[in-house]
Amino acid sequence: MINIRVYITGMGVVSPAGCGVRSLKTWIKQGKRKIRPLSLFTVSPNNLLPVGEVSESFEALEIPRTHQLALSATQEAMADAQAPPDAVIVGVTTGGMLTTEMHLKNSVSDPEAFTYHALGSVAEYIAGKYHCKGPVITVSNACSSGTAAIKIALEMLRSGQAGRVLAGGVDSLCRLTYYGFKSLQLIDPAGARPLDQNRRGMSVGEAAAMFLLVAEEIAPGNAIVEVLGGGLSCDAYHPTTPHPDGEGALNAMRAAIRDAGILTSDIDYINLHGTGTLDNDLSEAKALNALFGNNRPPLSSVKGAFGHSLAAAGAVEVAISAISITEGVIPANTGCQTPDPKLGIDPVMAPTEKEVRIVLSNSFGFGGNNAALVMGISGEKKPSPSKKIPPLTIEGSACITGAGNMKKTLENISSGKDCKGVLSLSEISKSLKPAEIRRLKRLPRMALSLALAAFQNGNLQETPSSVFWGTGWGPLSETYDFLKKLYESDEQFGSPTDFIGSVHNAPAGQVAVHFGAKGPNVTTTGGDYSFEQALLAASLLADKIDAAFLVIGADESHEAFSPLFDRSVTGDEVRSDGGGAICLKRSGVSYGIKIYPVFFENTDDNPSIIPSLVSILGNSQVIEQQFGAILAGIPAAYRQEGEKQLHEFLSLSDFHQPVIDYRRLTGEFASASAVATALAVEFIRSGEMPASLCGGDGYSLDGKGILILGFGKFVTAIEITS
Amino acid sequence: MEQLLNELNFKIVETLNLTDVMPDDINPDDHLVGGKLGIDSIDILELVMMIEKDYAVKIDNKDLGAKVFASFKSLARYIYENSPEMS
Repeated sequence: MINIRVYITGMGVVSPAGCGVRSLKTWIKQGKRKIRPLSLFTVSPNNLLPVGEVSESFEALEIPRTHQLALSATQEAMADAQAPPDAVIVGVTTGGMLTTEMHLKNSVSDPEAFTYHALGSVAEYIAGKYHCKGPVITVSNACSSGTAAIKIALEMLRSGQAGRVLAGGVDSLCRLTYYGFKSLQLIDPAGARPLDQNRRGMSVGEAAAMFLLVAEEIAPGNAIVEVLGGGLSCDAYHPTTPHPDGEGALNAMRAAIRDAGILTSDIDYINLHGTGTLDNDLSEAKALNALFGNNRPPLSSVKGAFGHSLAAAGAVEVAISAISITEGVIPANTGCQTPDPKLGIDPVMAPTEKEVRIVLSNSFGFGGNNAALVMGISGEKKPSPSKKIPPLTIEGSACITGAGNMKKTLENISSGKDCKGVLSLSEISKSLKPAEIRRLKRLPRMALSLALAAFQNGNLQETPSSVFWGTGWGPLSETYDFLKKLYESDEQFGSPTDFIGSVHNAPAGQVAVHFGAKGPNVTTTGGDYSFEQALLAASLLADKIDAAFLVIGADESHEAFSPLFDRSVTGDEVRSDGGGAICLKRSGVSYGIKIYPVFFENTDDNPSIIPSLVSILGNSQVIEQQFGAILAGIPAAYRQEGEKQLHEFLSLSDFHQPVIDYRRLTGEFASASAVATALAVEFIRSGEMPASLCGGDGYSLDGKGILILGFGKFVTAIEITS
Repeated sequence: MEQLLNELNFKIVETLNLTDVMPDDINPDDHLVGGKLGIDSIDILELVMMIEKDYAVKIDNKDLGAKVFASFKSLARYIYENSPEMS
């Protein structure tokens, strides 16, 4: 396909307005407020707040509420699909938290009960149900996750790597977010009143919206709307407060409009992020006025009707935007009585019939993660040529293991030791300024330390502009501490600092603030393949990133949580944690160490996955010629299957050079592949594999590269070549 | 009130993990927000929670918060005058 355009051909929604797109079509014409007092779980006295709750009941499945919401929306989106999706990309911030919270409250200690805790397990569950053999990515960018997921899906389709992608966003209500936002004093006790002069905050909500996006040269018969473009940016300002002038928001909107190849005057409706907080609405209004001046199209926020469903919000609002186009109705800014004159924008106050062809939809999240999408009816836009994934050069690398930093890790390896263990917090914090890390616990300190080291390891003049961060389990210390304090106080007190620190993307936000990195900022999470997801996301967005960018993967070992959540962390094994980071730039030159995420497939229903891998890498001769060694990651939880897969790979590829089972070195933690990647860079720089890893003799790489393979539930491959 | 000042000194340092600040470094007239301690809005919320928990005093709106947290002295005074524990 030379000219790729991306269309939504399937759409599914569950929201406080009901189940199904039809419920949203009914809603949009009436604009009724669906926010009401929480009934999903009981709360402590004086803490009952209005929320956007889904009132549908679901079959009693063994999966948490978030997964049920996702399944319901996916069933509708895929109802007429002719084939499985090639990839699944979903925005999630809660995962199985509602179920996990109840188990923790009841002191459940069986790891089996936490099978669906991981944020990444939602997309994996959906991918399994719909026989998706390709990559599964979970985006966890706080409140802009759903929008960011759709933008990444757009880029994957434009690159030709997929022809059909299932993408969207989902989150359920849970105590963590309910009490968490309350601890930040961001909740309006009267229910969210976006843009109102008396607004006092947001209302937490839940929902799911899923879309089947397809790549075609012209609109297929069942196209609902075309996804014209998207933009991502980061405020790099503060962990929670948006940039006061809406600078990041402005950048994201501009990027989306440019990406869509349209003018601001082409936009018929803007769906605002409009949470109802004093800060968001003000900074968003400033950004809108800067962008549109006095020529603002009709605009409204729907969060006064549905509440703020976090990762689902952006996705639900894409559905509402699509419906505004197909039904010719602009939704009302429900919940607003008197628009705040200080904002200088006038929202649509009642549902209004109007022809809508092009919509801009905004989502601005915690940590300053901003995303905007443009969608519309096809026709006027010039088709864009399919894009290529640019070659990426590794400028610098770093790692943290139980042994210490890269230098100490390499020393251990050279002397035949492993690098398992848990590095002390003081060692991790050595390179960090006390004032900067005062409020940070283990994982964000690891992320910062890795980012600084990877950047310093390169010889770049300019600082990185974008951050891609993969973590299997997120900040466990903050999550644990928040819930512990909450339960110990009978749900009266939750620490604002711990809540803010507990979101998966918080460490990436800290890195962005440190470097003033205002480009795309993406957090991915998918168990043992979280780093691979981050690298894949980076490669899909790299063609528009001029400066250097960081790809970081790390996970912390938590005494209580790690053995409960991560099946690879067992009772007798030495606890380990750590991570790796690489500083990349689009290559302009032929020299330099290059990285390429070449393969990422799901083992579910995929019996020829290994032959597929061998074929993608070239035939066995090519593999033997290109790569001097393989670093193979086999998570303990998948040891049997993983070894079988590796064995099959080795026999099909006929590979005779060193193969290192690297988790025997690093220990068991989700982002061990980030360490392997960073180590591979060092091995290539030195020109040889350490003797201790090759049965006693140093092994010259002879200018060849290293292949990083991941096995288990997914099979992944990263090529590192010089 | 003197005792409360000393107690608060200690609690602020502990709650906010101000590891390089000695309790004696906090002067009664010091600005709490944006002063040399580097306290921001998140820290204020953390202090709000500590004050509600330990002194049963609620500070739940921005305007009140701005007045109360203007200085260490104004914070101590507000707690002293409003806490059921202080009588």
